[in-house]
Amino acid sequence: MNKSISIARYHPEQDNQPRLQAYQVQSDHSTSVLDALLQVQQQDPSLGFRWSCRMAICGSCGVMVNGIPKLGCKTFLRDYPDELTVSALAHFAVEKDLIVDMQPFLQHLNAVKPYLINSEQSAEPHRQTPAQLAKYQQFANCINCGLCYSACPQFGLNPEFLGPAAITLAQRYNLDSRDQGKAARMPQLNGKNGVWSCTFVGFCSDVCPKKVDPAAAINQGKVASAGDFIISMFKS
Amino acid sequence: MQQLQQDIIVVGGGGAGLRAAIAAAEANPKLQVALLSKVYPMRSHTVAAEGGAAAVTLTEDSLAAHFQDTVSGSDWLAEQDVAAYFVKHAYQELVQLERWGCPWSRKADGSVQVRRFGGMKTERTWFAADRTGFHILHTLFQTSLRYPSIHRFDEYFVLDLLVVEQRIAGVLAIQFSTGQLVQIRAKAVILATGGAGRVFHYNTNGGIVTGDGMALAYRHGVALRDMEFVQYHPTGLPGSGILITEACRGEGGILLNKDGYRYLQDYGLGPETPVGQPKNKYMELGPRDKLSQAFWQQQQLGLTGDYQGHAVVYLDLRHLGKAHLASRLPFICELANAYVNIDPASQPIPIRPAVHYTMGGILTDINCQTSISGLFAVGECASVGLHGANRLGSNSLSELLVFGKVAGEQAAAQAEQANIAPFSAVAGQCQRQQSYISSLFADSCSDSSVAIRTELTLAMEQGCGIYRDNAGMQLCLNRLQALKDRFQQLKVTDNSNLFNSALLQHLELGFGLDVAETICRSALARTESRGAHQRLDQGMTTRNDTDFLQHSLALRQQDGSAAISWQPVTITSLPPAARHYGSQASGSPGNDTTGSSQ
Amino acid sequence: MSDKPVSNKTAPGPYQPVMHRYWWLQHRYFRLYMLREATVLPLLFFIGCLLYGLYCLGQSEAQWQGWLAFMAQPWVVLLNLLAFIASLFHAKTFFELFPRVMPLAPAGFMIAGQWLATLLVAAGLIVILGGWI
Ligand SMILES: Cc1cc2nc3c(=O)[nH]c(=O)nc-3n(C[C@H](O)[C@H](O)[C@H](O)COP(=O)(O)OP(=O)(O)OC[C@H]3O[C@@H](n4cnc5c(N)ncnc54)[C@H](O)[C@@H]3O)c2cc1C
Ligand code: SF4
Ligand code: FES
Repeated sequence: MNKSISIARYHPEQDNQPRLQAYQVQSDHSTSVLDALLQVQQQDPSLGFRWSCRMAICGSCGVMVNGIPKLGCKTFLRDYPDELTVSALAHFAVEKDLIVDMQPFLQHLNAVKPYLINSEQSAEPHRQTPAQLAKYQQFANCINCGLCYSACPQFGLNPEFLGPAAITLAQRYNLDSRDQGKAARMPQLNGKNGVWSCTFVGFCSDVCPKKVDPAAAINQGKVASAGDFIISMFKS
Repeated sequence: MQQLQQDIIVVGGGGAGLRAAIAAAEANPKLQVALLSKVYPMRSHTVAAEGGAAAVTLTEDSLAAHFQDTVSGSDWLAEQDVAAYFVKHAYQELVQLERWGCPWSRKADGSVQVRRFGGMKTERTWFAADRTGFHILHTLFQTSLRYPSIHRFDEYFVLDLLVVEQRIAGVLAIQFSTGQLVQIRAKAVILATGGAGRVFHYNTNGGIVTGDGMALAYRHGVALRDMEFVQYHPTGLPGSGILITEACRGEGGILLNKDGYRYLQDYGLGPETPVGQPKNKYMELGPRDKLSQAFWQQQQLGLTGDYQGHAVVYLDLRHLGKAHLASRLPFICELANAYVNIDPASQPIPIRPAVHYTMGGILTDINCQTSISGLFAVGECASVGLHGANRLGSNSLSELLVFGKVAGEQAAAQAEQANIAPFSAVAGQCQRQQSYISSLFADSCSDSSVAIRTELTLAMEQGCGIYRDNAGMQLCLNRLQALKDRFQQLKVTDNSNLFNSALLQHLELGFGLDVAETICRSALARTESRGAHQRLDQGMTTRNDTDFLQHSLALRQQDGSAAISWQPVTITSLPPAARHYGSQASGSPGNDTTGSSQ
Repeated sequence: MSDKPVSNKTAPGPYQPVMHRYWWLQHRYFRLYMLREATVLPLLFFIGCLLYGLYCLGQSEAQWQGWLAFMAQPWVVLLNLLAFIASLFHAKTFFELFPRVMPLAPAGFMIAGQWLATLLVAAGLIVILGGWI
């Protein structure tokens, strides 16, 4: 079956802003948006987009499909009988066609000290019960695709906002029974670009392809942050 | 051209590269480590590994048993000193990862849980649900952020190594975002660029797994070892090749042909084990090569089913129940749903073999050192000698860690005593590459890299597939030669500078063509059947230890073609024996593989 | 690099998207969110009314009567009715989101408590509104 798709093209060397261009692709029941983009790239090798695993785990292929953030490799043409427009992830600077600047995203991740902080040395593993694991497991499933940032108007309005994935990652380590770094992470979460910038729009959790539920993580973060605040009041 | 200097360069941000970078940074925090990767590290294909990582863990298990499984799995082509080192250090590496935060699956008492895996006699595979590689990669990536001496160069594509008089001097890379050529000089370089599965048509690999590092080293005269051994994974999704993990079978999944018959019992893997009671090394838990070969046999007999034009057999998980599937194999349920529109709780999943892993790679010694001084290789791109003719599932994630650490430490030691080559020594080489790149562009070209790549992958699939014969491989070789000629004429028609994927694809295709040729020529030269290399030609259908208990080495010739030579295998304690699975394996309980029946 | 692939043109750089002033009109999801946020307005009005009523009560009988008459005006009733619906809507969205916010164990318990509280508030509102109408 032939299908027409529109792609927002942007070549910084020529364009001032993205422009839509229509292409024809072959589509069957299993054709993903990524497959379609690869077909278009055969017609026009200058089309820029990122991809690798084509199995929804590497997090490279985020794009807007009809204005909603999606993984290209996990979105199927069969679900778009009418028009289909693919554009670069919202709220990020567009470098070329569907390639966005992921640097702000990575900086935010980096800012929350996303690693296990625990100075103890041992040649044996920690004990961690399935229940303790379950506390953070969901939040550890983030593939860093950035879709939630494109769904977050607060990030759109304030790019300094740590944003859903970074706060989720902080929360993932804060909730890990093996971690002792919460105190080191809370200043970031409490700060002006931390959890309180979130107004619980909730769209981030809706678009997350891995059901990580970042909105839940952020709001758990708010509870923790409030607790932190109260404790600090007593301390002073 | 931008010029930079570092102490150590790690090429590749997958499990092997990250582990090596961390080890180097820990060995000596003063050394500046550049981590170059053509994609952001967490996009590396380690992310896709599902099943798990092996290490002797249970008290009833032993290092000797893991060693035996690995060596017999390799069809005696493993370097036994390497295998011994590996099994000894695997556990501590998995613990290290645990202490860095990897969310390993647990038993009720909070200890780490291990699962069964094909070809392993005992449960010794650590896993993190069915996203083991994902968790390993992200744990390593996040941990790497702690080390200020690791400098990431994300989306830098390495196109050449800088070598001065058989010593490594650095690398030459293209910065994807700008198209700038960047020359980085260093005292040691570690290649950790992953496998080459994408030179085949049906594969479980991501688009970036194009064999770059192998070709980089090969072009500088480093031998590629055991390239004929390419592992087919028996359970890929039809069409896409997306992997359905072996853990499905470890959990008790069964394989059926179109008549609903468990055909594996006909191929030396029986007797049939009761449904829901998987047994190590029997039936569905036999090794990958045997399972893929059984598929081929069934296809010849017309007993495979059809899924949208692809021959398939069926992986049945229904008896495991929805709840168990959701807790132990959630990712598999998600994949089956999305890519073949099937709920594994209610329908069997259509599957077929797909190329999965390249056992061979850049020849290194046990210290990951190649024949170029200061150049190391580790991970799937390397052949340190662990996998021989067939890799056991879950050995390679552990390999990334064990040898990643070795490579990092060795490179650090090297960097402490070596000097940086002067710019003048590499200027000429950089100049040549620069003009070569410039010469690649043209406004139009009648051929395309996509067309050549497709033909390459089909040629390999047909000529160097699960079963091989002389005529098929000769044909394949001719086709490769023709494609190489076409490649010489090929031009890049997108002449933009920023994010020029067409240029990178062009370079990857060149790497792939070189690697494919080494696979085909090594396969032609090995006139026996062993592990993943199975020949149909008369007199070559069995293992021949008299002539071929040897590694193949592919060395690049002046004219650009590969010449094959042979290298003896290091055998320390386990003399060659027949590889037995199923009921034949239990002939001599406990040490079934040590008997010297051959 | 001299010629290809390095540009002699000065690369104009990435395109910075700008948030449209009416971004929240773009998706149903954002519209619902804005609606949820907007429920604050009638609620504010209701609270204003209450406070003013209290104030009147403290002043004189005449003022209190005046307040009651004001409250009985159809538009005021309508607005307060809106406030009531809004508070219910807010409560609904709140409870949909709430369980995800709390780490698992305490959430179930808290939810029961919260529902109880809302029911009480709602009952109170109904009594007051009933009195007016
Ligand atoms: C689907 C799947 C499932 C698997 N499951 C298991 C399992 O359960 N257990 C197990 O033990 N093994 C498993 N394996 C095998 C194992 O995952 C791989 O062998 C291993 O992850 C390879 O890691 P690596 O670090 O060597 O390479 P990769 O993770 O592939 O990383 C390669 C890196 O090199 C970089 N690179 C490549 N070329 C260049 C270049 N020219 N310039 C710059 N950078 C470059 C890439 O960007 C990337 O960062 C699986 C493999 C696949 C495909
Ligand atoms: S939280 Fe979900 S949407 Fe956001 S980056 Fe992670 S996986 Fe992507
Ligand atoms: S290509 Fe990896 S997530 Fe889509």
